[in-house]
Amino acid sequence: MSIKILALSVLLPIIMFFSTLSQAEYGDVVINNYSEEAGMRPVIFPHWFHRIRFRCKVCHADLGFEFKAGGNDINMLKIIDGEYCGACHNGEIAWSVESCNLCHSAKPGTETQVHESTISKLLTNQKPAAASTTGGTKK
Amino acid sequence: MSIQKPGYKSLYLYLSLSMAPLFLAFTPLQPAYAEEIKNGKQVYEIGCAGCHASGVLDAPKFGNNADWLKREQQGFETLVKHALNGFNNMPAKGGNPAYKNEEIIATVAYMLSEAGFPNYADRTGVKAVTTASTPKPAEKPATVAPKSKPATATKSYKNTNQFNRLMAPSSEWNPPQSKDGIHDPENDGTEMLQKPRVAFEPLANSTSGNRVDWVKALHNGEINPRYDRVNPDAMPVVMDLNIVREVKGSMPNVVYPHKQHTEWLDCSNCHPAIFIPQKGANQISMASILLGQKCGVCHGKVAFPVSECRKCHSQAKTAKK
Ligand code: HEC
Ligand code: HEC
Ligand code: HEC
Ligand code: HEC
Ligand code: HEC
Ligand code: HEC
Ligand code: HEC
Repeated sequence: MSIKILALSVLLPIIMFFSTLSQAEYGDVVINNYSEEAGMRPVIFPHWFHRIRFRCKVCHADLGFEFKAGGNDINMLKIIDGEYCGACHNGEIAWSVESCNLCHSAKPGTETQVHESTISKLLTNQKPAAASTTGGTKK
Repeated sequence: MSIQKPGYKSLYLYLSLSMAPLFLAFTPLQPAYAEEIKNGKQVYEIGCAGCHASGVLDAPKFGNNADWLKREQQGFETLVKHALNGFNNMPAKGGNPAYKNEEIIATVAYMLSEAGFPNYADRTGVKAVTTASTPKPAEKPATVAPKSKPATATKSYKNTNQFNRLMAPSSEWNPPQSKDGIHDPENDGTEMLQKPRVAFEPLANSTSGNRVDWVKALHNGEINPRYDRVNPDAMPVVMDLNIVREVKGSMPNVVYPHKQHTEWLDCSNCHPAIFIPQKGANQISMASILLGQKCGVCHGKVAFPVSECRKCHSQAKTAKK
């Protein structure tokens, strides 16, 4: 109990403070259970883009996506067989799997997580400045 | 390398009159000695950093290779022409017609060399002949090694006491993927993705999360997300049932609305995995929400963030029904 109260009293101010420091789009999910090991960039799933087109119910009830980043054990075989992303990215409802780089678009090393979440902001000490300090030596 | 066309003078005059307020805003430190020929770095810091340091209005960001890559491919001449004449939101000469063409050319070269195109480094100064023949007494440290950290002095001076120190200004909300810190700008697919700002432009806005008020956007018909994967005409079964949860202390009571949720979600998304469907049967606290349980399964991740206290704590205690 006291832990909860402590958590609340510590976390609330932090949240209110940091909730506006934004980088990735709110709700962007990076999925990297297998991609990087297999030599691909991690996958980024943009919620904002999909929720303009579909209600949550389509994916989270009909297609069975669990509410957990990385929690669905997705791989390419399932996708080409029409499960998960493959239920739509099949050349009929949306462009098909051959556009690898539209899904596999994250910076190498990006971990599985839902971005800009309250929790990630509290637990990982995200630096707000990353975007504004892109040095001149990118290559 | 004369790109000058006839008619510029009048254009600049027109611009300098009609856009005077803009100049004042973006060039607060007007060059005191207009005669001196400045190098690329000097011009950049005073005349261009205002937009290019932060990338407002989608200006290519200083030092960001990804932002400049496509532009560099248009060729130096084109870039110079755009910098001199203006281009979309890029005002001619950055809005300061007092700059000489050579100075602008040197500045474009400087911006390119700092964005990771080192072959422009030798063009970032203005012709040695000119500067050498007219040495100024009270000159600023002149030729600057192009590799030195850009604009630090001016930038830190300008930014030390900016109004919001920790809160991102609205110009930095919804950055394009190439600048969002998770997409790889080197990936050729990244540029093809739709920019959030473009998609959000017509939608009701808010100040947190995606900066979109999704409830309003849906209500106003600004978006029409499908309720079925294939059938665009399927409509949700909306249930209008409010559950009021009384809160101890000063915070207003929480009104949980089934309506807005069943617009988006299926009953099975919440019942029974997250909530037993019985009023008061579920222990909910802010701590659990913050930690991603109960309402926090969605709020703070995809649905509006936890910082929007008032959206949930919406019923004043005196007005209990
Ligand atoms: C519609 C989005 C999408 C597209 C398009 C896509 N992938 Fe994937 N891919 C995923 C997801 C999601 C995963 C699971 C990611 C993880 O857990 O790391 C994945 C995993 C993988 C993996 C690791 C797991 C496995 O199945 O071996 C490889 C390798 C892979 N993809 C290669 C490709 C290649 C090659 C292409 C193009 C021909 C491609 N992907 C196109 C979404 C996509
Ligand atoms: C087009 C499909 C799709 C739609 C529509 C969709 N989601 Fe998701 N959602 C996903 C995928 C994919 C994941 C990540 C699953 C994974 O990594 O295995 C996810 C993950 C989540 C998570 C888990 C985040 C975490 O790790 O805690 C939440 C919460 C969530 N979605 C909520 C929503 C809500 C709310 C909506 C409607 C506004 C919605 N989603 C609409 C596909 C979708
Ligand atoms: C008022 C804001 C502003 C100022 C000040 C400004 N720029 Fe720009 N600049 C922009 C914007 C916005 C763009 C992107 C235009 C587009 O592509 O639509 C841009 C683009 C450019 C480009 C690329 C043009 C192309 O063809 O892709 C160059 C080069 C450039 N600016 C140089 C400069 C220089 C040099 C200065 C200073 C003398 C300067 N800018 C000052 C806003 C500004
Ligand atoms: C319910 C259907 C559906 C599911 C499931 C789905 N998508 Fe999509 N996705 C779409 C549609 C429709 C588009 C838009 C296609 C177009 O622009 O032609 C899209 C577009 C995209 C885009 C491009 C966005 C842009 O900026 O243009 C990405 C990236 C993407 N999906 C990734 C994924 C990944 C990764 C998954 C699985 C984790 C997934 N999608 C699952 C329907 C879906
Ligand atoms: C976003 C999550 C969510 C969704 C979706 C949802 N509910 Fe609920 N439901 C709740 C919550 C929270 C409560 C209140 C539980 C409490 O007070 O402990 C509740 C309570 C109920 C109750 C109890 C009411 C009472 O007076 O005791 C019923 C019945 C119910 N829901 C039915 C449904 C049905 C039917 C659907 C689909 C049409 C649905 N719910 C969709 C979250 C949800
Ligand atoms: C399964 C996901 C999910 C859960 C769990 C959930 N919500 Fe929501 N909620 C949503 C979505 C999606 C919306 C639509 C608005 C958005 O996405 O920002 C929403 C909207 C709302 C709104 C409407 C705001 C408005 O502008 O009208 C309120 C209030 C709200 N939620 C309160 C709650 C409370 C309180 C709980 C816990 C008892 C809860 N929600 C649990 C997903 C969820
Ligand atoms: C997603 C909806 C939601 C949001 C957003 C929200 N709350 Fe709550 N809050 C609740 C619910 C549900 C309860 C539990 C009410 C009950 O006891 O049944 C609660 C309870 C509380 C309590 C009582 C103590 C406790 O932990 O139960 C306080 C204090 C509180 N909230 C403060 C805040 C503040 C401050 C914010 C903004 C930073 C906030 N809440 C945002 C839903 C929300």
